[in-house]
Amino acid sequence: MSSPAGAPIRLEAVDLGYTYAGATPTRALENLSLAVRDTEFLAVLGPVGCGKTTLLRILAGFLRPTTGSVRRDGAAVEGTSLQIGYVFQEDAVFPWMTVRDNVEFGLVARGADPAARRAVSDELIGLIGLSAFVSAYPKDLSAGMSKMVEVARVLATDPSILLLDEPFGALDAQTRARMQDELARLWERRRKTVVFVTHDAEEAIYLADRIVVLSSRPGRVRADFPVQLPRPRSQEARFSADFSALKRRVWEALG
Amino acid sequence: MNGAAPALRTRATRAVLSLGVMAVVYGLAAEAGRGRLPDRVWLGTHYVENVQLLPPYRSLAEEGTFLVESGILTGSIAVSAGRVLLGFVLGAAAGILVGLWTGRRARAEYLAGPWVTFLQFTPALALLPLYVLWFGYGEISKVLLIATNVAVVALLGAHQGVRSVPRVYLDAASALGAGERLTFRKIVLPAALPHIFASLRIALGLAWVTIVVAELIDAQMPSLGYLLTLAGAYPRVPTMVIGIGTIGALVLAFDLLAMSLHVRATRWMRRAA
Repeated sequence: MSSPAGAPIRLEAVDLGYTYAGATPTRALENLSLAVRDTEFLAVLGPVGCGKTTLLRILAGFLRPTTGSVRRDGAAVEGTSLQIGYVFQEDAVFPWMTVRDNVEFGLVARGADPAARRAVSDELIGLIGLSAFVSAYPKDLSAGMSKMVEVARVLATDPSILLLDEPFGALDAQTRARMQDELARLWERRRKTVVFVTHDAEEAIYLADRIVVLSSRPGRVRADFPVQLPRPRSQEARFSADFSALKRRVWEALG
Repeated sequence: MNGAAPALRTRATRAVLSLGVMAVVYGLAAEAGRGRLPDRVWLGTHYVENVQLLPPYRSLAEEGTFLVESGILTGSIAVSAGRVLLGFVLGAAAGILVGLWTGRRARAEYLAGPWVTFLQFTPALALLPLYVLWFGYGEISKVLLIATNVAVVALLGAHQGVRSVPRVYLDAASALGAGERLTFRKIVLPAALPHIFASLRIALGLAWVTIVVAELIDAQMPSLGYLLTLAGAYPRVPTMVIGIGTIGALVLAFDLLAMSLHVRATRWMRRAA
């Protein structure tokens, strides 16, 4: 099992606050601080509406924090970065592009030549088991397949930091468990720094090295749990005593 | 994967069926009206005599044969369709370009917005005398009149299309490192395409509405607009019915063509059978 305790800090949020302006201003985040170390898999867990997505969008550079600051590799974050891959909560695969064109989009943006793009997309599409669907449009894919295409599209550009916003939120329990395994497998092959936002305690425990629990709005860090289950984790791990014990503690922290 | 073609065929079959039913109802009404409908009509200053208010198919056939054999109808179709297409292409090109621009740039929207609303509800008939003064009594005025009407609708469609691109696609493109040009070409344009096509279908119909007005300028044979104007002046109802029917059929044919292009260009879209 990796122990990134001594690894350098990749992403750091200091005293982060965010208020949505409007007729009734909404404080989404307040005094939130957290640090993510290199190759660490961090899960951010919290109830619906606690500002998890806001936090992730700020980390990605889509939003500018109202107060506080975000540092990436020690430097202040300004806008989006090629270092960061972002998997959205919504369906974000481009419906007018085939699976291959979706996966290659980031490489096209970087001006990679067609042969190189093809090599990468072939490998990734194979890795997510969709080789038979390279020329299919997203409308012919299931929700789970479509999500994996999005993950592959993000991995294609090989970002060192992955931000995932409840990527499997819209899937049924079985598919979701399968997707979690796929993601864990991908992550074990290509170690990245990951921030995974979810409201599902079990998902957080199954995937992460560390879990940060947020309070409800305005979101701040309420608890911080290391997950010391051995890797690679199998479905059996979900029924182990350690897993259940941790789940109980996390549930209590969620309140 | 080829679900689009049968859907189109079904639509065409249904259209033929619904038109057929109307044709039968018309035929029955015309027969029933024979001898019962008045054949002289008071027009405010004088009576017109020998009017067939609902000409039966026999009269329509005679009139149609005459119009086709004399070359009037076929010539008129060719001339009017040519004008409609030219005006449509010019208007659509201009409208789409400006619409894409106003959709992307807030400043362009402020600039163009009032003009769009203004022109949208300005009837072609009101612009006609102005265009004749500006552009003369020739083809240019006719084509530009059509182009103006088409452009406004196409502009609104393109603008709306650009505006309705879901935020998540733009964020995704930006996170994947796409610059402005790539985002426009690969995200904004294809996402806006369904809106653009929908507006072009409306604009195409509108172009055929406008041609009748446009051909009041320097009215000459052959042209469908003048044919209808003449028929109204006589008045000759069979000619009117054939003129209206011809324009309607042309609109349907063009619409079918536009729709099949639309379906072909948006194969990726999820649609109901």
